[in-house]
Amino acid sequence: MNIELSEITRRFGRNVAVDGVTLDVGPGVLGLLGPNGAGKTSLLRMLATILPPSSGNLTLLDRDPTKPADRREIRRRLGYLPQHLGYYPSFTVVEFVEYFALLKEVPPHLVPKAVAAAVEKVDLGPKAKAKLRTLSGGMLRRVGIAQAIVNEPQLLLFDEPTAGLDPEQRVAFRALIRDLGQTATVVVSTHLVEDVGAACSEVALMSDGKVVFRGTPEELIARGEAGQGVGDAPLERGYSAILGAARSTS
Amino acid sequence: MTAVALSRSRPVPVLRIEIRRSVVLWAVPLLLGLFYFDSFRTAAGFPPVWTVRSSVITSHMIADFGPFAAGLAAWVASREGRRKTGDLVATTVRPAWARQASALGATLFWLLLAFLAGVAAIYVDTALSATWGGPPLWPVAVGVVELVTFAVIGFTAGALFPGRFTAPLAAIGTFLLAEIGFHGAESVRPGTSTYGLLSPASNVPLGDVGVFYHVAPDLAIAQVMFMGGLTVALLGVLTLAPVVRVSYRGLLAAVSSVGRWLCVAGVALLAAGVAAAATAFSLAGTAKMGVSGWEIPALHGAASDQPIPYTPVCAGTSFKVCVHPAFSGFLSSANTALQPVAAEIAGLPGAPVRAGQVPSGDGILGSQGMNFSGVPKPGLSGAPAVYRFISDDGLAPLWGSSAGVDNAGWRAGFQQELVTAFVAGPPQAGPGPDTFVTQPTAAQQAVITALMIRAGSAAPQFGEDMTNGAPSAGATPAQIAAAAQRFASLSPSARHAWLAANLPALRAGTVTLAQLP
Repeated sequence: MNIELSEITRRFGRNVAVDGVTLDVGPGVLGLLGPNGAGKTSLLRMLATILPPSSGNLTLLDRDPTKPADRREIRRRLGYLPQHLGYYPSFTVVEFVEYFALLKEVPPHLVPKAVAAAVEKVDLGPKAKAKLRTLSGGMLRRVGIAQAIVNEPQLLLFDEPTAGLDPEQRVAFRALIRDLGQTATVVVSTHLVEDVGAACSEVALMSDGKVVFRGTPEELIARGEAGQGVGDAPLERGYSAILGAARSTS
Repeated sequence: MTAVALSRSRPVPVLRIEIRRSVVLWAVPLLLGLFYFDSFRTAAGFPPVWTVRSSVITSHMIADFGPFAAGLAAWVASREGRRKTGDLVATTVRPAWARQASALGATLFWLLLAFLAGVAAIYVDTALSATWGGPPLWPVAVGVVELVTFAVIGFTAGALFPGRFTAPLAAIGTFLLAEIGFHGAESVRPGTSTYGLLSPASNVPLGDVGVFYHVAPDLAIAQVMFMGGLTVALLGVLTLAPVVRVSYRGLLAAVSSVGRWLCVAGVALLAAGVAAAATAFSLAGTAKMGVSGWEIPALHGAASDQPIPYTPVCAGTSFKVCVHPAFSGFLSSANTALQPVAAEIAGLPGAPVRAGQVPSGDGILGSQGMNFSGVPKPGLSGAPAVYRFISDDGLAPLWGSSAGVDNAGWRAGFQQELVTAFVAGPPQAGPGPDTFVTQPTAAQQAVITALMIRAGSAAPQFGEDMTNGAPSAGATPAQIAAAAQRFASLSPSARHAWLAANLPALRAGTVTLAQLP
């Protein structure tokens, strides 16, 4: 398993953002769904080794992220796209991706090829030399994806990756993460259930810091058909049915 | 652009990307403009003496570059906070200190490049006009270390408080710090607290510093040690900053999170920096004025106190005017000024046969109670008599040459000093440490004025001191001027004969205006 969570909890003062989550994730694409404030971003930040858990055990890529040496190795194999991508406006696309390749300690002689491949994968080749300040929001999102995949990571964490992408790019991104999921563990946190249906082999649904559903997209659809779910699409009905059930029991 | 084309590009280290995209590049034209209008023009107005012109490096260039260095470094250091890239870079392998080192390195690269280009411009300009000596390196070392210190202060502020107002506040703060340092250094006098000397910014030095005697590197060493210590200590703070941020989880957990060796390195840097700065501070407290400038006994080498051998350059035949070769460009002016008055008094008892330049140090600092044995004093002395002058008085046209100089006024003043020394004798020390009683008697003033008029100069101006409502000199300026005109209208032989007969009495102050022919 590339991700092993055991009773992971994260508190911010009195607020419990992640509440005793236990989860094992292997290679493939896991869609992380949930309403605002469900704890998706906090969970993702713990998986990205940014936040330490308040309690519980966390193992990533068979390593313990609390140990500096292990954490270093995890980060070498990690790709992360945060919800709000910060960037340096004066950098070009290539420089920005190159910068992160170097920070991720991709061997220097491999950096040019890795950068070129990442930029091409997000279809930004024609804008490779453009300054980031000149790019649209969707293009910047693609730059963020490129920096996340430049080191060919074994663990990829995307927080709202398709926000700002046009439909054509969204379709291309889904194809990309399906491809990446062949060899790596990809966790995609999103509000868009259609992303999950099209790209994810598994779905985890979070509510109030807990994982209230874990299964395939088909199983999520089935919950909607059986329960009281509302929505235009089968996945949306499954999503709302599970959330409704979780709220009624809490 | 295709993947193939991109993949052909050469690998680039992080530092090179930082250098290429450094925000300092945008400020370089502004820095160079400021440098030209302040530092360069100031240096060009100084005498073409290496040590004097190089003083601009610490007194002006740091004031021009320092606040910008602090502000720009703070802006760069606060980048991850301002641009919200903290999460993104936190997931990379390279630790915060390494990222910061690259960003700081790129900032310093452009700042130091611009700074050293400015130094080179001053030194090239000096080389084109200097007639003696070579470029001193200690001011450059002090300036570089000081600029790095300013940048590291700003960088630390930006890294610890990453807001958009940190950069302007850092720039303003370091500007005020430099001003405080300047006033601290300016107020240092022999016998007072000397800690202010740690600030390299100070007043314009004497015109012949480093010409007759070496400039002792003692103070520069202490300044480098002090600012280098501060810099190293701040780098230690930067290294330990992540420990402080996560220490709410307990010190051991924080150390474990950041890395033990990094913590050890941070503590070592902090301790070494504080120790170096504290040592320099205590050394500065022991500084005392010597013939080669400020000396720190623990750092001082006796070789600095030895005069630098030189062969003076001279003009004139019966009355020779000599200057140090560093001031050879001024020889013609000095000779032209002194020859007419020397001719007026030639052959009289005690008249000088030669005028020569002597070190300023004793002439200026003697008034502050500083006397250095073996250093010739300015004034008229010896047998045959030699008139000795110092650069700050006698070579005044060398100062502010770019701003224009009142050459006629300078010439009259220079002549007056020689004639006064001849007619009235050496100045007598006054009651206070900074005062001379130089006011000649009314008869002496009249004779000095007459000799000046005969030499082709304007009548000199003497102050009108009053004692109990009456002129101290014993006569009003109008009475003195009338007597001077009367004495000047005598034939040269009559005037010469009267002076030959009455000079001892005139010098003793026993001759009255009425006794003048």
